[in-house]
Amino acid sequence: MKKTRKSTFFVVVILIALFAVTSVLGIDQIFADKKTTYVKGVDDIRLGIDIKGGVDVTFAPAGDYDADTAQLDSATEIIKTRLTALGITDNEVYSDEKSDRIIVRFPWQVGETDFDPQSAVKELGEMAELTFRKGTDSETDEDGNVTPTAEIVLQGSDVASAQAQYRPDENGEYEYLVALELSPEGSSKFAAATSELAGSSTPISIWMDNTMISAPSVNSAITDGSAVITGNFDQESSKKLADQINSGALPFKMETKSFKTISPTMGEGSLDAILLAALIAFIGIAIYMIVLYKLPGCVAVVALIGQIAGSIAAITGWFGFMNGSTLTILGIAGIILAVGMGVDANIITGERIKEELRTGKSLDAAIKIAYKRAFSAILDGNITNVIIAVILMGAFGVPDSFFSKILNKTIFFAFGATAEGVVYSFGFTLLAGVVCNFIFGVFASRLMVTSLSKFKCFQNRKLYGGDEK
Amino acid sequence: MSKKKTQKETPVTLPQKVYNFCAKKKLILGVVIAVCVILLAGIIIRGVHLAIEFKGGTLITYTYQGEINENEVGSAVKDVVGSNVVVRKGESLDSGGKQITISFVSNEGLTADRQTELDTALKEKFADNSLELYDSNDVSPSSGREFLLKCFIAVVFAAIIVIIYIAIRFRNIGGWSAGVCSIFALCMDILIAFTTTIVCGFAIDSNIVAVILTILGYSINNTIVIYDRIRENRKLMPKATLNELINVSCTQSLTRSIRTSVTTIGTMLIVTIVVLVKGYTSLLSFSVPLMFGLISGTFSSLFVAPVTWSWWKGKQAKKNK
Repeated sequence: MKKTRKSTFFVVVILIALFAVTSVLGIDQIFADKKTTYVKGVDDIRLGIDIKGGVDVTFAPAGDYDADTAQLDSATEIIKTRLTALGITDNEVYSDEKSDRIIVRFPWQVGETDFDPQSAVKELGEMAELTFRKGTDSETDEDGNVTPTAEIVLQGSDVASAQAQYRPDENGEYEYLVALELSPEGSSKFAAATSELAGSSTPISIWMDNTMISAPSVNSAITDGSAVITGNFDQESSKKLADQINSGALPFKMETKSFKTISPTMGEGSLDAILLAALIAFIGIAIYMIVLYKLPGCVAVVALIGQIAGSIAAITGWFGFMNGSTLTILGIAGIILAVGMGVDANIITGERIKEELRTGKSLDAAIKIAYKRAFSAILDGNITNVIIAVILMGAFGVPDSFFSKILNKTIFFAFGATAEGVVYSFGFTLLAGVVCNFIFGVFASRLMVTSLSKFKCFQNRKLYGGDEK
Repeated sequence: MSKKKTQKETPVTLPQKVYNFCAKKKLILGVVIAVCVILLAGIIIRGVHLAIEFKGGTLITYTYQGEINENEVGSAVKDVVGSNVVVRKGESLDSGGKQITISFVSNEGLTADRQTELDTALKEKFADNSLELYDSNDVSPSSGREFLLKCFIAVVFAAIIVIIYIAIRFRNIGGWSAGVCSIFALCMDILIAFTTTIVCGFAIDSNIVAVILTILGYSINNTIVIYDRIRENRKLMPKATLNELINVSCTQSLTRSIRTSVTTIGTMLIVTIVVLVKGYTSLLSFSVPLMFGLISGTFSSLFVAPVTWSWWKGKQAKKNK
């Protein structure tokens, strides 16, 4: 094993302090009017409707369309999936079968300045019907609305999955595109159409509702069931299109009936109450740990600060470019569980150090053995939590995420691939917390205790809970 | 290097006083029966209240003028409809007026009669606010039965995987039975949290899902820490009987169990007190059941899991004779 030096303690403490400060405050820079976020801080956390309130939108089918129950249900599912794909994991979607209404509630976006509820609502209510058509024929009515009329080759239901990709085109230049994997039925339809059009001047046009995205000409027949949509995509727009295709098309066109803000269910200021409770609890735990375990207790407090910072970083996404998730009561539950496990890891080790010292071992040996022994308990306890977190993320995440794909095809085959954002956010914060537990509660705390024990002034066995010798 | 040390330190130094955990079978049976009785009594007396997201109900929106108190509106509506009511304020983004949205569970929607009754009652009580009915919807549940069922299957599936994991990691002490017993202890903790929710008269909403998931992780972790000690002691004291092993290991882990529980349960107690003082009572349906579940988790990891396990192993041994 590598020798731990005296200086290691300071390096670890400084790193944890830096991490904690950046994840709370964030790092951003303001150039002219544009704010660039390098590291996201607590201000960038999107709070759930239960904590902060949000927007309440009522949708109804456009015109006199009479939707049946099945259609309303599928519209509800699609809206939920779209919300989760947009990173709005906290949402409430109700449907009223009598008057064909769908009521959607979602929380305010972070930094309300750049949040345009109108466009979010528009995105939710879009039909998002993908069509591949022969040729580019369309007609324009007197209001200037374009409707495609060309013969349909493929539609959304022929697509098995869509994925945003960044890869080189024929000229070797990298570009963003959306890659489609077609269903067996879709593959044969597409193969027939492409072999018919191969070499001809008639292109295949690709439409999202009434907007033509691109109209590539066909060079050769495509029989392997794959298709790509190119166009002027960037990272964001390609992902958005892939998400829209994956969540499926609404069975009818919807329009907004009413649009209002709502106050949080928990009451205004509930967040302050939770934060106050968290602060009191943290101070209490800190005093408790230091009184019980003295030096390892102090180290535990530093490790816990790192762990809490890690949980915050996981919710904000920490890095400016990563998507954050929404903090809800369930997410807070996940953090509490993870921090609780972190405290537990420190208590297990602290107890172990005491025990080993009592058997008369030298300080060095006791610390070494205590961390080693404690680790097997911490490992098994945390791995079981990883299992739980991964299953929850798979069961309730966005259908095209990795874990969901595996689980939805096996144990949850009887259910629709619904995304339930709040449970997902619980699994996510729990997973992040467990990872932090290994980093801070086990690794960092061992480095700190071992390094401190090299100092003369910290070699008194009493500081570690041992007997005077 | 570590091997040498292990050999040197055998025989292990036993704790000064070893408590006899394995002799507590009756206590456990008593607790399980008591919990079931309280649960049944709670269901009969209090009834099970599903929240609007699981049961469906009615959303009514009024526009109003001036200032209005959400809690007063809530209690006025509750007097008429009889079920739990959530009132939220808001502002219309298209017309700009101030609105309140009232939501509550109702069995077959809201009849015209009762709607009129509610309307008159509210307009009478808040005459100064010139309430106007804006919109009224009877909604089906937003999460519904399928969500609950999916949660249930996810939890069961997680439990099975955990049993398999424990079976593999603790194979030298007979992993399968240990895994099943840890899940049995978990079931008791969840049952206690659920009973608390029912007895306190909280509605079954998404908070209970949070509570159950948290207990799932916490309870199994607690049990595993004890199993880990048994696994370690099995190597150090190869000749000890299972009951001796369990008693020694539980005694050794006792300090840790109590200290960890003080922090977690204390945290929930602080949350409960702060929420009560500040008046955000909707958080209570999270903190109170979780607190009781955590208390149960400490108890069940020390008693229920190891003791049922020793009982199971004892039966097995008898059969083999």
